[in-house]
Amino acid sequence: MRQGKKIFWTICKYSILILLAYQLLYPVLYMISGSIKAPTDSYDPSVIWIPKHYSLVGYIDAFKSMKYISALFGSLLIGLGCSVFDIISCALAGYGFARYNFPFKRLLFVCVIATLVVPTQTIILPYYLNMRYFNMFGLFSVLSKITGKDLSANLVGSNIAFYLPSIFGAGIRSGLYVYIFKQFFSGMSGALEEAAYVDGCGPLKTFLHIMLPNAKNAIVTVFLFSFVWHFDDYYITKQLLGTKRRTLIVALSSLRVDLAALIGGQTTTDPIRIQTRILAGCLLAILPMFILYVIAQKQMADSIEHIGIK
Amino acid sequence: MKIPYYTKKKIYGFMFVLPWLIGFIAFFLVPFAESCIYAFQNLETTKEGLKGTYTGFSNFRYAIFRDTDFIVECVSSLKNLVTIPLIIVYSICFALLLKGEYPGRTLMRAVAFLPVIIGSGVLMDIMKTDIFSKGVISGGNETVVLFSSNGLSGLFQAMGLPERIIAFINTVISKIFDLTWKSGVQILLFLAGLHNIPSYAYEAADIEGANAIEKFFKITLPLLTPMIILNVVYSVIDMFSDFGNTIIRMIYDTAFVNVKFGYASALSILYFLMIAVVLAIVYLVLNRFVIKSEV
Repeated sequence: MRQGKKIFWTICKYSILILLAYQLLYPVLYMISGSIKAPTDSYDPSVIWIPKHYSLVGYIDAFKSMKYISALFGSLLIGLGCSVFDIISCALAGYGFARYNFPFKRLLFVCVIATLVVPTQTIILPYYLNMRYFNMFGLFSVLSKITGKDLSANLVGSNIAFYLPSIFGAGIRSGLYVYIFKQFFSGMSGALEEAAYVDGCGPLKTFLHIMLPNAKNAIVTVFLFSFVWHFDDYYITKQLLGTKRRTLIVALSSLRVDLAALIGGQTTTDPIRIQTRILAGCLLAILPMFILYVIAQKQMADSIEHIGIK
Repeated sequence: MKIPYYTKKKIYGFMFVLPWLIGFIAFFLVPFAESCIYAFQNLETTKEGLKGTYTGFSNFRYAIFRDTDFIVECVSSLKNLVTIPLIIVYSICFALLLKGEYPGRTLMRAVAFLPVIIGSGVLMDIMKTDIFSKGVISGGNETVVLFSSNGLSGLFQAMGLPERIIAFINTVISKIFDLTWKSGVQILLFLAGLHNIPSYAYEAADIEGANAIEKFFKITLPLLTPMIILNVVYSVIDMFSDFGNTIIRMIYDTAFVNVKFGYASALSILYFLMIAVVLAIVYLVLNRFVIKSEV
């Protein structure tokens, strides 16, 4: 009886999972199927998912026209760098908000949320100008008054333009990361910190040695979000990268135009041939994030067993 | 001179927040303030670049009293708030499904993360033009149309159900489809939250003889409340600031297509104030229910 009930629940669970998986995987399956179809199959009504003739020409063309290796390198540098800086700055701020009381704390936390609410589009113009004529929070302009030279730096096109906001917890959706860390830290028990304080640990040491290792789940979550959102971002990246370099997503957005230049004009009039290449390009752009997620989510599961043993 | 412990603690707390505060002022407050100044001007592109003269509150007055679309769109976007409880319930359930140990869990987790990867920006645009529209149009393919509402409505018509019920089921199904694509972030946050619930709480409950439902309502849900409020706040923000949102599109078009930066800034400030009011209400109501962990 008990056995039967268990089997019933397992079947229920798996059927729900398969249903959900199908729905979420549908676009990816479509991309895979569409990207390996040979042109002749696109006109064949009997071919639905599994093509009769394979062709990898879509991948090769997309790879070439996106300049995949250099674009991937650009994306990874921005994604990994920003996510690491985001983790550091937002964990510090989140810990401050969770554990300490200081004047204007509530107002400042409202400001954290406010950064999330204001859409980037509304501040992109002054934001861009800030990076184009960067003057170190007004410091350079004071210095240039003294020396008489224009010291403002052009950060557009360099990775510093992406790292700098992240270092100061103002990257893409940083407010959310601060909030995530705050929720995690305030959920943790205060006993460990008190013990550390009694043993003579300073606040920074307590934070680094006691709190941060215990917040591994929050770190993994923030890392994933920050990486994916910096990797996926189009508006800010496009503005700040300038014209010389490209990330995968920027390359993907102009793939349709670039393909026309690569394989000649006749393909642009043929939507199906261009589509196989665009779908291949999409898959190539998703792949790095997908791999990273599979690696990172293992960390999330492991950390818990570790704490459980303690 | 000796600084008292509590003052010291205040200073420490402030030091932790300081890096963020610098970034907030430099990369958010200053650009935002500049954008606010635009709202009181009628900016125009001239040969020397952007030029504006001070026009007082005329942009705001125009948006509230004369623009036929803005207020109407704001009100209709408020109606979307109804879906937030659905998103929360759905993502808690999905996160619970993802938490347990079973074969194929890694794959399932990776699949659940797909909406986060795809759901933003360029990829979503390509999907909308190339994939979703395709699936609905190219009729004959059964598996594809199963989840687009066309396939099912045909089935229900064959079963002889009345029109109104079919229409209702159709909207429900398309809502569920939306739901799965909007809850990627929430699922991951809940998953992390679930993992942070200490296992000894469950062990103790097992010894006391609690069943699964009791464990969920007495342990999981209370300890998940900080994550629930975080997710509600995030869902509200996501709903209002998503680029697919009509008002965001309207602001963007006003600024970059019609080149009326001043008016666009005024619109975004009004919109921002509306979201702030909604968030304040949601936060104040929900924060009463947050349970601080003492385990």
